[in-house]
Amino acid sequence: MTEADNRLKSLFALDEPPPRDAVFSTAVMEKVMRRRFQEDVALLSVASVAGGGALWAVWPTLQPALVAVSQGLAPALGALALAACAAVILGGRARTALGLEA
Amino acid sequence: MSPASLDEELVAAAQGGSTEAFSRLVERHQQALRGFLRRACGDWATADDLAQETFLAAWSRIGRLRAGASVRAWLCGIGYNKHLTAARSAGRERARAQRYEEDRPMASEARHEDRLALEAAMAELPAEQRACVALCLAADFSHAEAAEALDMPLGTVKSHISRGRARLMQALGVCDD
Repeated sequence: MTEADNRLKSLFALDEPPPRDAVFSTAVMEKVMRRRFQEDVALLSVASVAGGGALWAVWPTLQPALVAVSQGLAPALGALALAACAAVILGGRARTALGLEA
Repeated sequence: MSPASLDEELVAAAQGGSTEAFSRLVERHQQALRGFLRRACGDWATADDLAQETFLAAWSRIGRLRAGASVRAWLCGIGYNKHLTAARSAGRERARAQRYEEDRPMASEARHEDRLALEAAMAELPAEQRACVALCLAADFSHAEAAEALDMPLGTVKSHISRGRARLMQALGVCDD
């Protein structure tokens, strides 16, 4: 590299950004997270609309079937729901009592 | 671990959705990208805006980055295209650039004059020549890496650098042996 090249390089170096710039990196990551959030919201919205549409389309067929099934399964479903609630509420303590968790 | 293999690891993690890995890529490559865009655009505020847009675009396109590719060349390529698009659209905010210019560190008088001469000479260069000079003479990119980043044939990059360098030396009044 000639002296002229070195001089050119040292002049270019005056415009060099710092090797670490937390303000810049934070600004970029803020935008990235905002973009990611917007994409998630858009995806959930589309999925909700599609799910709602599908349910609306099959509801005339589904409703009689649900009524017929629910009468037989209602007690069992009720018990299952109760068990699930109990597991969620007491989960941590039950595991501790059984010695599964410290 | 070598910088290239660390980049590969971070890219793989970012492709899997890790924002933490992407954040490290931003940290590692912001200097090269912003430096290139500053020299390619000529003003710091626009360059930093473009650099942020570049990283945002990179996040969306990270899945398309092939294994083993140079991350900084890929980023500079995206940044260069954004710069060309921005340069084509008129009416960029000049006032903000002016304010930013005032914040720049002042060098000695002689050096300051040299720098102004260099900036003026860079501004005179055609966009492609300027980008080649910014990558290879200012940022130590190899000719092949610059060709990859700017999507130009290697021979074109070499000739842009040779002509650009000659014009910069002339503007600085340097006798090039």
